Amino acid sequence: MTTRAGELSPDEKKDPKNWTNRLRGRLEGLVPPGQALPDRQPVYVASWIYVFGVLTLTSLVVVIASGCVLSLGGVEWWHVTSLGHYTNSVHLWSVELTFGFMVIHLWGKFWMAAWRGKRAMTWMSGVLLFAISIGTSFTGFLSQSNFDSQWIAGQAKDGLNSVGIGAFFNVLNPGQMLLYHVVILPLVVGLLTLIHIILVRRHGVVPPLDADLEG
Amino acid sequence: MSALSIVAEGPGKYVNWGVIQISVANLTIIGVMILLFILALVVPFPTHDEQDDQEGHSR
Amino acid sequence: MSRDRTPDSHDFPTRPYDLVKEFVIALIVVLVLSAGLAAIFSSPDTKAVTMSGWAKANPNDLAATAAGELAGTTTSAGYGAPYNTNGDGQKLGPLPLQKWAGVRLPVNSADLVLGPLSNASDIPAVTAALATWKTATPEQQTKWATAYTDALGKVDNDPAKVATGDYGPVPALSTGLVALAKTGGLEGELTSSGNFYGGDKTRSLLLLSDGAYLEDLARAQNLGGDQWGMMNEAGNSPGQPWMWLYTLWYQIEPFKSSDNADAQVWGIMMFLTLLLILLPFIPGLRSIPRWIPIHRLVWRNYYRRAKRA
Repeated sequence: MTTRAGELSPDEKKDPKNWTNRLRGRLEGLVPPGQALPDRQPVYVASWIYVFGVLTLTSLVVVIASGCVLSLGGVEWWHVTSLGHYTNSVHLWSVELTFGFMVIHLWGKFWMAAWRGKRAMTWMSGVLLFAISIGTSFTGFLSQSNFDSQWIAGQAKDGLNSVGIGAFFNVLNPGQMLLYHVVILPLVVGLLTLIHIILVRRHGVVPPLDADLEG
Repeated sequence: MSALSIVAEGPGKYVNWGVIQISVANLTIIGVMILLFILALVVPFPTHDEQDDQEGHSR
Repeated sequence: MSRDRTPDSHDFPTRPYDLVKEFVIALIVVLVLSAGLAAIFSSPDTKAVTMSGWAKANPNDLAATAAGELAGTTTSAGYGAPYNTNGDGQKLGPLPLQKWAGVRLPVNSADLVLGPLSNASDIPAVTAALATWKTATPEQQTKWATAYTDALGKVDNDPAKVATGDYGPVPALSTGLVALAKTGGLEGELTSSGNFYGGDKTRSLLLLSDGAYLEDLARAQNLGGDQWGMMNEAGNSPGQPWMWLYTLWYQIEPFKSSDNADAQVWGIMMFLTLLLILLPFIPGLRSIPRWIPIHRLVWRNYYRRAKRA
């Protein structure tokens, strides 16, 4: 069974009105017992294509870590010190790696039709993550405080204004864009990543197309 | 900037093909990604299945 | 695929696997790659264009832009929402989304010139010009400014070569702005909130975007919209290869010459994104992996053993 929907824990049955019991029951039921960090995988998980999910995730870790170091120095730091500039370079290249691995992961999941077996939410949260990541990198480019930021802001405003979004999301306002980049969007990316990974552990790795169970 | 940096601040190198125009840098990245994808599909993944006689179920 | 017959993954035989070790190895690989790529290729940092830089490198362009703001002929002057009501903006099909959003970031383009000059210039010629401008009727103001921008256009925007004519205070205001820009004080004057800590560069960026200087610099680096610019970065740096499909539409008709290109391209991309998100539910599209069986490479070991069993 991949879900425990409707199944109450012993404590919930004892005191179903206790919110703590209900929350704990929900959390414990998110993933089948032992499947949050299992030490075994189905035998069909035997291809290098499977490593691109974890490569995307670890790239994201480096993006966030290098971003935190940049935050320690502040917005102008990377323009005025070589350590700051190097940190910015690490941030840029880890972003390129994140997108590269993420897209290869997407290619793999598409050709494996990985949405099968109740995994539609896993697929949808993944595509949403892709789209929001693009938005996050976009606010990053706007936060560079250099020529790039000026040009990208001037161009992007036309796209966003044309459909009314620019009235609320002002790309010409670096103060707003930076806060989207370091607070709001990382929270959204983090939350979606957590949901995506929980769903993978919940349903397990998708079986091969046309697989029959052995024995 | 790093002394080893090969990023020039002048206009970069571009490849043109009909309406398509793409920087050498971007083309390289896309090329490497496609190569990685193909390699991931064809390179064997070490599983030691022949030695592994004890197959268990997850539950 | 009307009924999903995918078996439960937990019912398959398993083998030992170390997820945490896999994570740690992947983290080390990515750290080494990021650190290495950063050391070798660095990251571009083209200095921002300043108003002072603009005034010194291309004073004629700034002078013409200033005159255009006063005449109401610049892009920002006729933009419409969210800055003003001087244009209807773009439509997505029949929907005037731009207009519907309303004027939430009000900017008066003439004030991009008049505001800084009123606050920060104490050149007598400018003060007098401002007084003349303020006491004139709107029709007179437009007449002067339009005549001057037309005249400038005939002499490559060089104020020194402009034919004599009735331009009122516009030439003085326009060259006054260039002089103010050269001092380095123009950005500060244009900061939207008008406070010491202004972090909102809307007005400065609108003025900058109204000129040709910024765009010329960008186009020289292949960053223009019709140069696949959305994907590109200055110099030889990699840019945003993942933007290829978004920018592709701008390179081809009918979008290339459409007045509503931005709204149309946005609409197409949102639709395609929605298709990708909802792929599991779309018959035909979701069957492509069956028709083109790349998955047989991924699971070749499993299929071989299943056949033997």
